[in-house]
Amino acid sequence: MRSIEFEILLTLAAEARHGYAIIQDIEKRSGGSLSVETGTLYRALQRLVESDLVRPTDAPRAALNDDERRRFYAITPAGRRAAAAEAKRLAILVDAARSARLLPPLPEGT
Amino acid sequence: MTRPSRTQRQWWSRAYDVALRAFPVEFRERWERDMRLAFADRIRDRGTSDHTRDRTPWRLIARELGTVVAAGLRERLHSSHRPSDMVHAQDIRYAFRLLRRSPGFTLLTVLVLAGGLGLSTFTFSFLYAGMIRPLPLGEGDRIVRLTQVEGERQGPVDAVDVAMLEGSARTLREVGGYTRREVILGREGERRVLTATVADPTLFSVARTPARFGRGLLPSDAAPGAEPVIVLTYRTWQVAFGEDRSALDTHVAINGVSTRVVGIMPEGFGFPVAQDAWLPLPSSITTSTKAGVEFLSVFARLAPGATHAQAAAEATALLRAALVTRDTSERVASRMSMAVESFPAAQIGEERTLVFTFLNTLATLILLLALVNVTTLLTARANERIRETAVRMALGASRGRLIMQGMWEGAILCIAGGVLGTAGAAWGLEAITSWTRVHLEGNMAFWWVWRMDRVTLLSAGAFVTVAIAVLGSVVSLRAVRTNVREVMQDGSARSGSRREGRLARVLVATQVTVVTVLMFVGVLSGVMARRVVTLDPGFDPANLLQVDLAPSAEQFPTEDSRQAVFRNVAARLSEHGALDGALLRTRLATEDGGAGTFALRGSRAATALPTANVLATLGAMSTLGMDVVEGRPLTASDDRAHAPVALISRSVAARLWRGRSPVGEQLRLAGVGDTTQWRTIVGVVSDIPYGNLISRDRSLNAIYVPLLQTTVAETDVIVRVRATEIAGRQALSEVFEAVDPMLVPGTVYRLSESIEKSALIATGMTKLFGSCFLFALLLAVAGTYGLMSRSIGLRTRELGVRRALGATDAMATRMLLTQGTRQLGVGTVVAAPILAVVGAAATHLLPLSGALAAGTAIVVSLSILSVVLGATWLPTRKVLRVPLRDALWRD
Repeated sequence: MRSIEFEILLTLAAEARHGYAIIQDIEKRSGGSLSVETGTLYRALQRLVESDLVRPTDAPRAALNDDERRRFYAITPAGRRAAAAEAKRLAILVDAARSARLLPPLPEGT
Repeated sequence: MTRPSRTQRQWWSRAYDVALRAFPVEFRERWERDMRLAFADRIRDRGTSDHTRDRTPWRLIARELGTVVAAGLRERLHSSHRPSDMVHAQDIRYAFRLLRRSPGFTLLTVLVLAGGLGLSTFTFSFLYAGMIRPLPLGEGDRIVRLTQVEGERQGPVDAVDVAMLEGSARTLREVGGYTRREVILGREGERRVLTATVADPTLFSVARTPARFGRGLLPSDAAPGAEPVIVLTYRTWQVAFGEDRSALDTHVAINGVSTRVVGIMPEGFGFPVAQDAWLPLPSSITTSTKAGVEFLSVFARLAPGATHAQAAAEATALLRAALVTRDTSERVASRMSMAVESFPAAQIGEERTLVFTFLNTLATLILLLALVNVTTLLTARANERIRETAVRMALGASRGRLIMQGMWEGAILCIAGGVLGTAGAAWGLEAITSWTRVHLEGNMAFWWVWRMDRVTLLSAGAFVTVAIAVLGSVVSLRAVRTNVREVMQDGSARSGSRREGRLARVLVATQVTVVTVLMFVGVLSGVMARRVVTLDPGFDPANLLQVDLAPSAEQFPTEDSRQAVFRNVAARLSEHGALDGALLRTRLATEDGGAGTFALRGSRAATALPTANVLATLGAMSTLGMDVVEGRPLTASDDRAHAPVALISRSVAARLWRGRSPVGEQLRLAGVGDTTQWRTIVGVVSDIPYGNLISRDRSLNAIYVPLLQTTVAETDVIVRVRATEIAGRQALSEVFEAVDPMLVPGTVYRLSESIEKSALIATGMTKLFGSCFLFALLLAVAGTYGLMSRSIGLRTRELGVRRALGATDAMATRMLLTQGTRQLGVGTVVAAPILAVVGAAATHLLPLSGALAAGTAIVVSLSILSVVLGATWLPTRKVLRVPLRDALWRD
């Protein structure tokens, strides 16, 4: 799974969002270090939709005041499983990086 | 900067819409609206956020647009053009079926492509093998030749410096010297002249080629007092010894000295260039500490990791340091440098890149002509299938699929043409090798062997790929631009005719440009070749031998000692029973070089000085067929102890002393020798022409001064042989040796042989070039006719309407001819600057006059004009013969 696809799934795991909201969330999460352009985002969304990991959905209640032309996307159960599997894989990698002292050890008790 | 206005945002949105076109239609249909909204949101937010409120978000826009275009192209590549989607066996079968359905068309296009591709492959392979390919020896790309450079002169290296380089250069290994010498091989009563390379035995270790029989030269062979030995080439062994294995270890006479044959090299080996045998260069020469005695050509191997440039820089530094230690001023030393080149590069000279590029460009132009013709045929076929294409698109066939379908037909034709063309190129290369072996044996560098190899195949592959890309892109573009609705509504071939007409006009203009340039070059080449074939030296070259006589400055340091050598050689040669005459001749100045001016005593100083070729001679001028028509000839007693004299040619006499005798008049050379000295004219001789042999503007104006009244250091020796050529060569050898044992004749040229071989090469090249240009002309004529015929044929109905509305046949013909001329005009305008550049280069590099080049350009342009007008008029006449009623209903 490409990192942009994982980022999208991660965003949609919380709630359904439209394209621009996904971009905002990813950029906010990365603290501004990651910039996602629309071309990249929608190619990735196309792949996720084709793989049945994401599906278009109605606007959530909280977003009813949003521009009605916007299309919202939600994560599918398969998408959630795929994102979880990817997260697990990344966690193992992070542990390995810690063992190799590429990252500082976790504080005691965590 | 103010906050982005609504208008600005609208412009960015439009730019974004344009960028979105990079995505395939299917993608756009699904995501375009969302993407636009997201983009607009981003721009809006960026423009209203606190820290960017007053700044235009250029970077963001640029990044967005760039990413959208890149992502769109990637999406196109990955969606509709997936390899699995693109390659369909049924498309290939369909293309084969189409080609099989029209065998005449298929055969014609394959032959045209084979001609273009074969010619390009042949030219590239031929030039690569002759000029660029590394020597066919172990690590041949690292074997180099060193020459000493002073200004524009490039020549051999002092033997002292060869030894110095061998000991000091870090970038060079196995440095050795060699020189060429003619020797007489006497064997059982039969004598033969061999061109031998007298070389440092290191030559055989540099070449890394073991002998076929026996051994190569060893360092011990060059030691003082060593037994004289010789190594033979395979060819010499074949010709002189009848491939007799017992020749090895036998003793033969080389210049009368008993010499043992110690080795026979493998067939085709001739390092460093071309010769018949190798003799050891005495180590006393390379270990000598006296500069200026012997000069040698130098071979070496580049050290691992060293480049030509590094080796040249190091060798130059070493040479300059050595020159300074030999009391050469630093200023003079700084003008000296060393050139390090591969042997093929050194053999061809500085023009290598120019010749390689120029000839390959010509061949590529012919390929371009072939491609233009085939493109014409294929687009015509594509147009005929336009309804089928539209139906496929209407049924949902992707454009990518249609492009690939169009590509396959062109690809199959190109591959078939490429295979046939490569076979033809391979045959041509083999034929050239056989021809040179028969006609130019002994004059060819040993690496000049042409046959199909990896490079031939690679170049053929490259040309075929280019051809497929060109054909495919044009034909596919045609398919992609099909307007489904228009074609489905109309349904005739006419629906694409306007676009096809535009393409046809471009193709005709391209044809005109290409063929004009090719014909221009072809005619100029033909003129040059004709001049070489009909070369007239101005005297009978039969039985004439020529050799350089250059007494070394070390052995003959004074002018008197050198003049004694000249006098002695001339006297002995004139008395030799094997010769009919001998002439020592040195050119002092050429008429157009500025140095050939002279003044006449008593003439007005204000008038411009006349000019002539100035030559120093000693011996019988009758050797070159010149007669003394008035006065007396120059003799050996005309030396510096006697009054300065001169002979003039009949042309000079007629020009300056019309109707009276010039004998007794005085002239003074203004550009050479002692320019203050008045010389008395003692005679007039018949004319012979001077200047470039292939020039039409050769001069008959000549002044001859006695060689012994000049300070020249070297001269040409020309002898007319009475009996056999070999006796003449032996006479030269004997006389040189009798004058001084260290005076050895260099390479002896037979003048008639040089002229015959030049004519032979010119004839061969003319035939080769002639066939190529004829092929190009044929392609252009056929292609232009085909294009015009088709584009006019498509206008049958239009012409019918015009005729119905009252246009006469003459008006219609005039209209079409005018349009044809317009296309010709475009082609000619594009060709004009190319002709100007090529013409200027030709007149600069070759003895061709500007008027000839301009005249050729005009004649060629007029010829092309007549071809285009003819190609327009014929189909016009055909179309106008169609009955009006039929024309109006013609689809």
